[in-house]
Amino acid sequence: MARPSHPQAMTPHRPGSTRTAAPQVPDDFWTRRRMLTYLLFDATGLPYMLVGLLALRVAFALGRGPEAWARLMQDFSHPLYVAFHVLALIAAVFVGVRFFRLFPKAQPPRIGPAKPPPGLLIHAGLYAAWLGLTLVLLIVLGGLWP
Amino acid sequence: MKTLLLRLEPVIWLLFGAGIMVGTMLLPGYLLTVGLGAPLGLLPEGALGYERAHAIASNPIGRLVLLGIIALPLWKGAHHLRALFADWLGHGPDGLIGSLLYAVAAVGSLLGIYAVLTL
Repeated sequence: MARPSHPQAMTPHRPGSTRTAAPQVPDDFWTRRRMLTYLLFDATGLPYMLVGLLALRVAFALGRGPEAWARLMQDFSHPLYVAFHVLALIAAVFVGVRFFRLFPKAQPPRIGPAKPPPGLLIHAGLYAAWLGLTLVLLIVLGGLWP
Repeated sequence: MKTLLLRLEPVIWLLFGAGIMVGTMLLPGYLLTVGLGAPLGLLPEGALGYERAHAIASNPIGRLVLLGIIALPLWKGAHHLRALFADWLGHGPDGLIGSLLYAVAAVGSLLGIYAVLTL
């Protein structure tokens, strides 16, 4: 059965002369491609939370000493951890590609006296920062520098 | 509960926004090295051996980045999972589910602050 979505979402400030039906969410909403992508975007919350909790374990292992660190690396080499980290990487790239594409569209028309830069420039800037940070982390954590 | 969550909304949104923006920028580099490269032996010898990993993480910038990798994805994840549950289960249990998810993120963030300060 179709159910009403946010009942006030589309309500005009003053009722007009034309009567309109309340917005409805169709039953099969989760089978629609755009809706599925949206739900998948929200579902990346799960790998994100797990990555955060695992990073907490990384920090505690570093605080405890070399044995704890070796044990952690041993655990992380288990196929299940490897599969999860690959999944988390895919989730992060998916979130980045989608969010950085949407971000320029979510800018206000004016920020104080200034107009925000063109969408393409914001989009390119976000990608530059993303690639730059990834490269820095790869270089530092990958042992190339310092 | 819902009222409290609404009052905290600006703080939650700030942390969620930082999570989706900064967290997403940090994750690929972290996952490729700490999550996959080091455990699978794909990195140069000693790149993330204990000595070097500890030295990087206990540097002030290292502590901040590590805290970011712990806390920001937690807030991004909590807020998005709350939205997902609201879509599936409606707004009835939203107060309870939201509170539980944010509690995990808050406790995780506090433990993260403790962990990076005691490295």
